[in-house]
Amino acid sequence: MIGLISYLVFFTTIAAILSIAVLGLNLHWGNTGLFNGGVVAFFGAGAYGTLILGGTPQSGHLGGYELPYLIALTGGMVIAGFMAWAVGILTLRLRHDYLAIATFGVAVAFENLMRNATGLAGGATGIRGFERPLRSALGDGFTYNVLFLIFVLILLAATYLFLERLIRSPFGRMLRAIREDEVAAQSLGKSPSRVRLTAFITGSVIMGLAGGLYGTFYAFISPQDVLPILTFQIWAMLIVGGAGNNKGAIMGAFLIWAAWTASGWALSRFAPLDVQLYTGSIQFVLIGSVIVGMLLWRPQGLFPEKLVVSQAARPK
Amino acid sequence: MINKLMQLGLAAAIALGGASFATTAAAQDCTTKIGAVLPTSVDWGKPIAATAQYAVDLANEAGGVAGCQVEMVLRDTQVDPKVGVDAAKALVDLDGVQVLLGAVSSGVSMPILTSVTVPAGVLQMSCCSSSTAFTGLAEEGKTGGLFYRTFATSGVQAAVGAMVARDQGYNSVAILYKNDDWGQDIGSLVAKDFEALGIEVTSSVAINDGQPSYRAEVTEALQGNPEAIYMAIYPKEGISVVREWISLGGTQNMIVANALKSDEFRDNVGMQYLGNMIGTDTASPRTDSAAAFVDQYTARFDGPPNGPGLANSYDATMITLLAMEAAGEGATGADIAAKIAMVTDPEGTPVSADAAGFAAAKEILAGGGTVQYQGATGNVRFDANGDVSAPAVTWGFSDAGIEELSYISLEDVDAFMASVK
Repeated sequence: MIGLISYLVFFTTIAAILSIAVLGLNLHWGNTGLFNGGVVAFFGAGAYGTLILGGTPQSGHLGGYELPYLIALTGGMVIAGFMAWAVGILTLRLRHDYLAIATFGVAVAFENLMRNATGLAGGATGIRGFERPLRSALGDGFTYNVLFLIFVLILLAATYLFLERLIRSPFGRMLRAIREDEVAAQSLGKSPSRVRLTAFITGSVIMGLAGGLYGTFYAFISPQDVLPILTFQIWAMLIVGGAGNNKGAIMGAFLIWAAWTASGWALSRFAPLDVQLYTGSIQFVLIGSVIVGMLLWRPQGLFPEKLVVSQAARPK
Repeated sequence: MINKLMQLGLAAAIALGGASFATTAAAQDCTTKIGAVLPTSVDWGKPIAATAQYAVDLANEAGGVAGCQVEMVLRDTQVDPKVGVDAAKALVDLDGVQVLLGAVSSGVSMPILTSVTVPAGVLQMSCCSSSTAFTGLAEEGKTGGLFYRTFATSGVQAAVGAMVARDQGYNSVAILYKNDDWGQDIGSLVAKDFEALGIEVTSSVAINDGQPSYRAEVTEALQGNPEAIYMAIYPKEGISVVREWISLGGTQNMIVANALKSDEFRDNVGMQYLGNMIGTDTASPRTDSAAAFVDQYTARFDGPPNGPGLANSYDATMITLLAMEAAGEGATGADIAAKIAMVTDPEGTPVSADAAGFAAAKEILAGGGTVQYQGATGNVRFDANGDVSAPAVTWGFSDAGIEELSYISLEDVDAFMASVK
């Protein structure tokens, strides 16, 4: 029983961290229509940033500044934001699939940089030796995980409330206006490129927050954590949950991650012994089918976007 | 308050432990679960998992461990750290395993170690993670003595590679390494060893996976006219690299790490270019038990153990099971980890790595003795950081297949490594 609770705490922590990243992507794609194919780069920037700023000194690479945790986490978010600013200025003139390809390239470049720049981030071996905050006071066990989960949930709630307010604000309406018809928005005197850049940076900072929490939780980050598969997983979560709906984004993250882990667990438990060795492949097929089925029969996601003209006209 | 709760919990655990002991002693049909997190969705990961399962089957044949049959619960890592860590956590929390075999990639093993097994006090035994980061973590005391691996650190192979270059009389060498944790480690270690021996390293070039051509990398390595080339890369990339290397007039004096020990590589490059190639490897030592493993494996899987990490996976599983036997029923991960020295004791009674050896080891351990496990990778002996050293071989290709050229015993390897330090 304790084991089950302990596992659920662990599972919820990861799912909540991924939810934050999905919320960031939802601001990009769901609300602003920016096809970000490089989620993992901003996620990774947050994770690497946090671990470099907050880690203990390691020979051979940058880092080990041992800053207080919240400063390190914020630093990771700022690094993700700066990267988004640089990438945004270069690529945001691109539309749709072109933007997707450009950002995907950025993500691959980021992974390769981390893999090769041994002096910057430890190279392929990654960054270790991060002391999880308050670990000496709380120990390593169940209590720590519960408290960390609460911390993550508070940040998830804060991100959710922030985004809900943001999209209901005039700025949020402007995002949707630009998403739906850029020329019309421009003719009303809005500056689409500025607004898009702001949204891009904001969403990326949120992804950086998720990355920072992820790195903290594992006390380790390596290039293997920032492979394109993570971008794919986060996109799958948003598509299944429903693009444009923050509740959907969170639900999607929990559902897909649950499906991902539960299918592995179920196969290892119930599949016959000689099939056991193929459970990995079967799992990929199962998850792929869920996503394809979703796109075929409910492309708007489980929780579709609620379109409202203004707050006053919101359905009561 | 917390103290009281803990006392209560402890009392309950003891009561439960006692109860389960009573029932198993009567029934003899209990099962103990062990966890395995291995990349079964990758082609080379499947045989590693199958070998671990095979070792478990042999132990069960010999009457199980600590009076119980062993069930290995296998989970796939998909070579994704998130998935691997989740699988490990599920095994520890839901299945209550006290030992975990895995993972293969260091990038997966490391987060499992830092966020699952060390906090939970579970023994983690990796067959195949080679990163030097684990040694660093152990030296900082952050593994809690819970991490062991049967894969010799890259230091052994790098040292033997340098030894080969010295014996062949090469004065300058270019290094090509796979651009991952294994390759970066071995590439930088071998460069240090070359320098210690006074051999010039003309260049050190990273080889990324899956490129259609490696002309740029090969051209870079050719500059400085090295007398020989050292390669720590995988067959797929190795084939293209060596083809381009030779077509651009590079030397045929090659030293390669074990990853290129594949018939595919020989056939695709062509035997006529590989006459001067010398490979290094850590497996297949001169013990009867190693030969016995090859025979056993061949009989069980209709083919010799030619993939990477198979002998290591076998030994990792066997040593874990022996340590569980030594620790007895209801042992925690830390208890089991503490017994590993007892089953890999150089002074202990030698036991072979099969069902008969396992049964013999059980008797000796029951009598309070210690055993020396003579495994598929030789007489495994862990150092204080849970790392193994290993005897080494050099090998080459011939028309018949892969042939061994020389054998370097554990003592020679250790002495050589000490001399280049």
